[in-house]
This record gives sequence, C-alpha cells and structure tokens, in this order.
Amino acid sequence: MNFNFGLITMCKGISILKARLKQELFEQYELEHRITTRGVDAQEELHFMYTDPVVQLPVIHDGQMVIYEWGNRGNKESKLPRTGWCRLESLEAGKWRWLSPEKIIIPADFGLEKSVWFQINEGMQGVLVHDEQERPHAYMLTRPASHYYQTMTRHDRMPILIEQEI
Amino acid sequence: MYIILEGRESLSWLLIEDSPWRTLSSRLSTYLPTMIGHVDADCFYVSAERVRYPHLRGMPVGVLGNHGACIIAKSYEMKAAGVPTGMPIWEATPLCPQGVFVKRDFRWYEALSRKMLAIVQRASPRVEFYSIDEQFFSTTERTIEFPQRLQAEILRQVGVPVSIGVAPTKTLAKLISDSSKPFGCGVLKNDSERLALLRDRPVTDITGIARRSAKRLAEHGIHTCEEFAKSDRAFIRWLLTKRGEDLWWELNGTPVIPIQVARPQHKFVSRGGSIGKASCDPQRVGAFVVRNVERLVEALAHYRICCDALILTLLFTNEPERSLRSSLLGSRADFEALLEAAMYLLPRVWQPRSAYVHYMHVIADGLRPLSNRQRSLFEQSQLVDIKRKINNRMGRFVLRSGATLPLVDVYGDAANEYDICDIYGKSCF
Repeated sequence: MNFNFGLITMCKGISILKARLKQELFEQYELEHRITTRGVDAQEELHFMYTDPVVQLPVIHDGQMVIYEWGNRGNKESKLPRTGWCRLESLEAGKWRWLSPEKIIIPADFGLEKSVWFQINEGMQGVLVHDEQERPHAYMLTRPASHYYQTMTRHDRMPILIEQEI
Repeated sequence: MYIILEGRESLSWLLIEDSPWRTLSSRLSTYLPTMIGHVDADCFYVSAERVRYPHLRGMPVGVLGNHGACIIAKSYEMKAAGVPTGMPIWEATPLCPQGVFVKRDFRWYEALSRKMLAIVQRASPRVEFYSIDEQFFSTTERTIEFPQRLQAEILRQVGVPVSIGVAPTKTLAKLISDSSKPFGCGVLKNDSERLALLRDRPVTDITGIARRSAKRLAEHGIHTCEEFAKSDRAFIRWLLTKRGEDLWWELNGTPVIPIQVARPQHKFVSRGGSIGKASCDPQRVGAFVVRNVERLVEALAHYRICCDALILTLLFTNEPERSLRSSLLGSRADFEALLEAAMYLLPRVWQPRSAYVHYMHVIADGLRPLSNRQRSLFEQSQLVDIKRKINNRMGRFVLRSGATLPLVDVYGDAANEYDICDIYGKSCF
C-alpha cells in the first residue's frame, strides 16, 4: 500500500534488480514485500518509493550495499531537511555543510519520474547524513533537468546519474 | 522471359520438395535461379539495448527518439500493451505503466548493425545494406536450415534476434520475414505457399505500397496482396506506374528489383527532421535551418557530390506544409552558398508567418560528382575544409555557425551529435 502525503517529489522512486541484493539484506530489512516484476519472463526487481510506508533506499556506502532511510519524510523533531532530495546547487553553496554529508551511490537500475520509468545504467549519486541518533539517512542528489529528461518526464529536475546522460 | 523464369522456379521447387532429388538439387543449385534472403532484426533498437543491458529482456521497453517525446521502437511486450511506434510517451505510460523507456543511441545501434552485416556478408557473396536493421542477400540455398543457421549465428555473435525470409524475390522475402516474426525463418518453396502468403494480407504490407497507393487500389477493389498479384499487370502499371508493376512481378515470383551491393547514386540528399516542440520563434527556427545546412554540407562532402539547387520544406502544426526550391549559381557544396539559399527560402516558405514549425527538410537537388563541376575563379571559401579539420580533431559541431547558438538544448546533449541519417551506406533510409 502506498501513501501519498501531498509531497513535492522529484525522482520519486527507484528500482533495483533482486539479483543484485544479498540474501541477508532481505532478512535484515524485510524487503520481500518490495519484490515485483514487469513480466512473466522479466527479472524480479525491488521498488523503493518515497511514498512507501517505510521509506528506504539501497545505497553503496564504503563499498558495501546497505539499506538506509531515504531522507526525512515526516519526522518534524529531526534536524534533518524534510525531503528526500538534495540539490547539487545547495550542496555546492555549502548549505549542507553543517550535516557533514558524505557522497554515496544509489545503485538503481530504473528510476521513476512522473509515471515514467527510465533506464539507469550504473546508478545515481546521493549524499549520506546522520540524524541526532547517528542514524544514517540517504538523500538523492539532483540537478536541473536536461532538455531531453524534461521532455521525457515533464520534470524540471533530475537525479545525477553516474556516467550517463539523459 | 517471364514464362521461362516461372518454369525454372517451378522446377526448382519440385526438386526441393521431392526428397530423393535433394542431393541432385544441391548439385544443380548453380543452375537454378538465385533466391533472395531478407534478414530483419526483431525490434532492433530494443534488442540492441538488451544486448548491453540484458535485464531489459522480458520487460516492456520503449526507445525514445531525438527529443525524448516519441517512441521510435518498442518491445513486443510494450506492443502487446497497445503502444504503437510514434506514440508520445505521455500517451504510452497510461497504457503501459510498467514500461521502461530508454534514450536512443545510434552509435551503438550502428555498431551492432555493422556486425550483423558482416555476418551476412560472410554467408553470401551479394548483400545489400538495406537499412540499419535489414539486409537482403542472394543465395542458392533453398532449405530452412540455411536461414536458421544464419539466424543462430547472428544471435550468437551479435546477440540480436532476427527473422529471415527466403524467396525468389525481394518483395516476397520481406513478406516472409515479416510473417515469421518474432525470431522465425521461412522459405518460400512453391507456388501454393506463395499464394498462401499473399492471401488475406493487406496490400500495405508490401514495401512500396503506402497509404495513398493502397487507397487507389482499394477504389478498384484490390485490398489484399493476393488480389494485387492476380490483377491485370497492365492495369497495375496504369494505376501505380512502373514501380507498381515491378511489385506485381515480384509478388508473382519474378525478381525485377535487384540486390544493390553498393548504395545507388543519390537523387537528392536531405537533412532535417523534427525540431522538437513546435516553434514560431524566428531565431530558433533559423538556427535549425543553419544546423541542417551544416549537416547537409557534411553529407555532400562525404559523398563527394555538389548540388545545383536547394529545397527547403517546412511542416507546420496548424498549416499545410510548404516547400520551395532555389537554384544556385553553379554546382555548390560549400556552407556559404547553401546557407544563403536556405535563408533566402526561409521567409518565403514560412507562410503565414504565424504558423508553428515542427518539422523541416533541407534538400540538395540536382546532384553531380564534385569532380565534374565547373569551378570558378571567384570561389574563395576554404572555411568548410578548415571547419572539417578542426571538428575531425576536436569533435563534431565543436566549431559551428554562431547562428546555432539558440539551440543550447540540442548541442548540450551529446546524443544529438549522431542521428540515423549519419549512418552511411544504407540503400534505404
């Protein structure tokens, strides 16, 4: 079941092939319910949506694939920005410096923007910050959308893809 | 001549069908009429993407065109969801919400296309590079095993599934490969199979019979390929000229359209296409004209030809398309002369001025080899050569006309450097 909180989203979801995730992650993070497929002959995938009841993202951190909380969707008590995305411009302007962000990779195979699933070759860039309890939170890094991406998805911002131009 | 050929075809079919004669037929193969094979990749752009991203197999996949708006190729899974080629993405996603969309990459598609071509060229002495995903070839083989072997070899070496048809003519071979899709093979062995192939098949399945010809045929009660083939030859010639008559011969099993091993001489060379979102901004439309003239000059240089005239065609969203031709002073292939002609034509074609342009063609007409043109004492431009040298070294469009500056979005995307028409050597588009 998905919840729509009336959030302003950018790339609101990603998908990763099930084969890329280790079995222990399924047990540790109860990922089974995320498994889906696009066809009888298609590989199984896991969908991670910002509108999910539990907001998570797969992340490659220190060379390991882990599952972190995706941004800060609804915790008003937290000091963290209440969003799931980090604008590259604000990162470069130093607006996130106080959170000591670390660069991470979000290993996605597909992204979802305004009902359009698009192919991701290697993954997308993200930043990792920690909340007051030192829990890790992953934010998706975004930049102004290219003309092509804007036409394709009708969104004016896009995730920063690794070694890929859309 | 037709009767003799027909008789020989029937003889060859008889020999193949009768198993004791198989060995003899293969010995006689050099004396039998050559058959024509047609290799057609199954949803080629999608298959090409699946070669490098195998996880796309089994999923509904659409490849998007130059501007990211329209679907230029789709997988069978997406087709099953009701998405046709050419549909805008915003209409396709409600029909196929799980569909995955991929940006086109013509360099990659060309690389695979040329690998396919090389395999077919090893299997046959005469091969036509018809289009990026199709080849015709000649063969004396009449067994189904031959196209099946070729099909398996292409799949093994390139990773792209193809369908192959073998028949006495190009038109029939293409119909068979079409009817064998996906990933099938067919050999037209006898006349009853030919009639079965043509029966109930609409005439628009024939390459060369488009909507207008189909309408003219329909007015005379000709709707299917079989009806076309059984019509009076002279009548078809009267109705559809020699091109129609050629198709009539071909459908009846007599080859008249040859395999073109080398690309035939151009009658004209065109560059253009969609400009993305329709525009009535003179700077943007003008910039696209300049861009297409630059691309046209590149193409003329590649083919070592020049032209005597330039045609500019504009397609509007809210007005009928318009086209005008301008003669050049002598045979030219240089940017300045062609641009001057194009910019002269632009305001004259763009009528009414309020019309929104969404498509254009800049066409070089009256072509002749560069070596045959009359030179002039007053020719002064070496700019094209200098530009070519710099761009060859630094990258395509690195040095270009300043008039293209309004197209930041186009030049900002490296994928726009290479288009389907930049793939040279194809006999068709």
